[in-house]
Amino acid sequence: MIAEPNGSLPTEPAEIKACCAAGYQSDVVALILGESYHPGGAALTRRLAGAVGVTDGCEVLDVASGPGSTAMLLAREFRASVLGVDLGEGAVAQANRRAADAGVAGRGTALVRFEVGDAERLPLPDASVDVVVSECALCTFPDKLAAAAEMARVVRRGGRIGITDVVLDPDRLDPELADLAGWVACLADARPVEGYQAIFSSAGLETMSVERHDQALGDMIDMIDARITALAMAKSTALADVDLASLRRRVAVARRAVADGVAGYALMVARRP
Amino acid sequence: MTNRPATLPRVDRDEVFLEYTKSICPVCKVVVDAEVNARGGRIVLSKRCRDHGKFEALISSDAEAYLAALRYNKPGTLPLATQTEVVDGCPLDCGMCPDHKQHACLGIIEVNSNCNLDCPICFADSGHQPDHFVLSLAQIETALDAFVEAEGEPEVVMFSGGEPTIHPHILEAMELAYAKGVKNVTLNTNGIRLAHDRKFVKALAAIAPKPPGIYLQFDGLREQTHLAIRARDLRSAKQAALDNCAEAGLIVTLAAAIERDVNDDELGDIVRFGIDHPAVRAVAFQPVTHSGRHLEFDPMERLCNADVVDGLVEQCPDWFKKSDFFPVPCCFPTCRSITYVLVEGDNVVPIPRLVDLDEHLDYVTNRALPDFTVRHALEKLWSASALPGTEASATELECATCGIDLPDAVKSLTDKAFMIVIQDFQDPYTLNVKQLMKCCVEELTHDGRIIPFCAYNSVGYREQVKADLTGTAVGPLVPNSSALAQLLSTTASGARTTEVTIGKKDQTNVGRGLS
Repeated sequence: MIAEPNGSLPTEPAEIKACCAAGYQSDVVALILGESYHPGGAALTRRLAGAVGVTDGCEVLDVASGPGSTAMLLAREFRASVLGVDLGEGAVAQANRRAADAGVAGRGTALVRFEVGDAERLPLPDASVDVVVSECALCTFPDKLAAAAEMARVVRRGGRIGITDVVLDPDRLDPELADLAGWVACLADARPVEGYQAIFSSAGLETMSVERHDQALGDMIDMIDARITALAMAKSTALADVDLASLRRRVAVARRAVADGVAGYALMVARRP
Repeated sequence: MTNRPATLPRVDRDEVFLEYTKSICPVCKVVVDAEVNARGGRIVLSKRCRDHGKFEALISSDAEAYLAALRYNKPGTLPLATQTEVVDGCPLDCGMCPDHKQHACLGIIEVNSNCNLDCPICFADSGHQPDHFVLSLAQIETALDAFVEAEGEPEVVMFSGGEPTIHPHILEAMELAYAKGVKNVTLNTNGIRLAHDRKFVKALAAIAPKPPGIYLQFDGLREQTHLAIRARDLRSAKQAALDNCAEAGLIVTLAAAIERDVNDDELGDIVRFGIDHPAVRAVAFQPVTHSGRHLEFDPMERLCNADVVDGLVEQCPDWFKKSDFFPVPCCFPTCRSITYVLVEGDNVVPIPRLVDLDEHLDYVTNRALPDFTVRHALEKLWSASALPGTEASATELECATCGIDLPDAVKSLTDKAFMIVIQDFQDPYTLNVKQLMKCCVEELTHDGRIIPFCAYNSVGYREQVKADLTGTAVGPLVPNSSALAQLLSTTASGARTTEVTIGKKDQTNVGRGLS
């Protein structure tokens, strides 16, 4: 749903990842997606924390940590020790700043730090964390199996991996969403629940539970729509380079996909045996 | 051993017990025990009077929304002064007594009881009546002084009636309120004088330091609605009043009394009309309060806040969804819901979609500290004293939208903000002291008391004050419930009454131990 001002679409996986991370760092995206960046907001993050058992002092890795909202919530409310990894340097710098402002920057219980890193080559030793979380990110990774295998590698035996992500039925997806712009907004390369389960299984993980939270995706699309409309009303210069009509059309298509059950959102918990 | 019957089938209750509370008998107004249960997805208040039997009333048609609203219960603020002592307990000590859980956000002064209409629906039971009162300026001053003593700088005073625009000194009364330090003044009117007397409208607009907000009775656009609720087709008068307000620069809130099967299908049309009219910046929907005068109704099928929300979502599907309406934290949060929308042309954006209100206004769940600037801004917007179009609300809106990291440009949108309020006032059937004790909408009386609006309408205070001011006994007024039809007779004004002989006092849980 994030229009590419330049129009040309990168095709190589490496190029896609970089573009994706850059897209998430841009001011326009920040304005449109708000602080949380993922469906379900803080409420679903809390539910995720409960589902994977984040507790006092628990060592947590947040993959694709973006502006750091999930990681900071786990540190502040669950007193976890969190490392956030993201491919975008700007996002990492911003997240570290926010953590410092909130007084939770650092290593240890109830603290959080952010590092630049690639989900397919995590900068952590084997079996070094208790829990891995990743919100609305796996769906955007070109090589999902490599990312899942990395999560499996860095988590300790018996440790849990909690994912909240877009799920969809690829056979019924509108072609308008199936281009890169759709990809950035988590829709086009998302998988059905069984698809994610197969990836976990190939990475040596056992799926423990799956919860559907489709309304969260619908609400996020409504929020994006509201923000775009508010910015357009305000004649905001932030939208100067954006093709509003096409942006709105994509929002409408995405909303229909949720209403028709083609796209949804799920909380999935897997475990390293 | 004799033959015992086969095991009896065990039966569960068909409801979940939620609250034990106090209410009143809707007939004799004696205070009785009450309970609140969730039944079939709805919330029901039940109570029994020793003399008049069992009563049940629908409190909310959406049990889930009722329970969810409880998290928005902000701790109350103490008033600077109280006017009465705790003697008999709630709701007999009004007011305001030291046990009250909240200060007053909004004070109402009913300056008279006579009116230029005789509406079939009027919680104040006003009209062309021989025994009416008109407060003197001195009495209005007493009411204002009590409010100032309790609040310091009161947020809002609403002048009401009767019909306040026919009070001979209404302009001076409003000026007096400002002179006493009241920040905002509103005028609650049927609009007839505003439609016909442009000089009066100009005089309102000239009131310093700022013109009063106009709270215009506006129940719908259909002739049939007007006839049913007002007994007169007032459509052209409403239009003229609004146009005169627009011309004079007065800001109007449309106040709509909504009754089931009368005008509950006009909710969307009222909002659309309001958004389109240049004078209107807000709509306040009030399910009809079954106090005073009203149509016959079934207390278990009465219209609730949730029905208004559902109706708006159904009638304006492109604009609203249920989660756009948020409980107001300052009063008891099940009583009142508010939303704001930004409007430009065909575009309508509900503010709750831009900012995660849950993160800021959930007072019960233990969480990391919210941003207090944003919380404060949202509290001002989501409060009973929120007024459309005032400088204060514009500032809060800016602050709230800034808090959600939208850019400065959005600040320019505050003049496009439109407010929708939904308020379910309590009546003798639905009264629950739990809600009443945290009420922040208060009647300011001529004798310097500050009485929660719903206590005033339900418990008998209105009748007491009216009798005191007119020297003529009033009531007792009884809700026009279909279940009580046999018992009731009609008063001269069209309200319902009955012969009440109060029997033995209720002795459940009152002032006794086991022995």
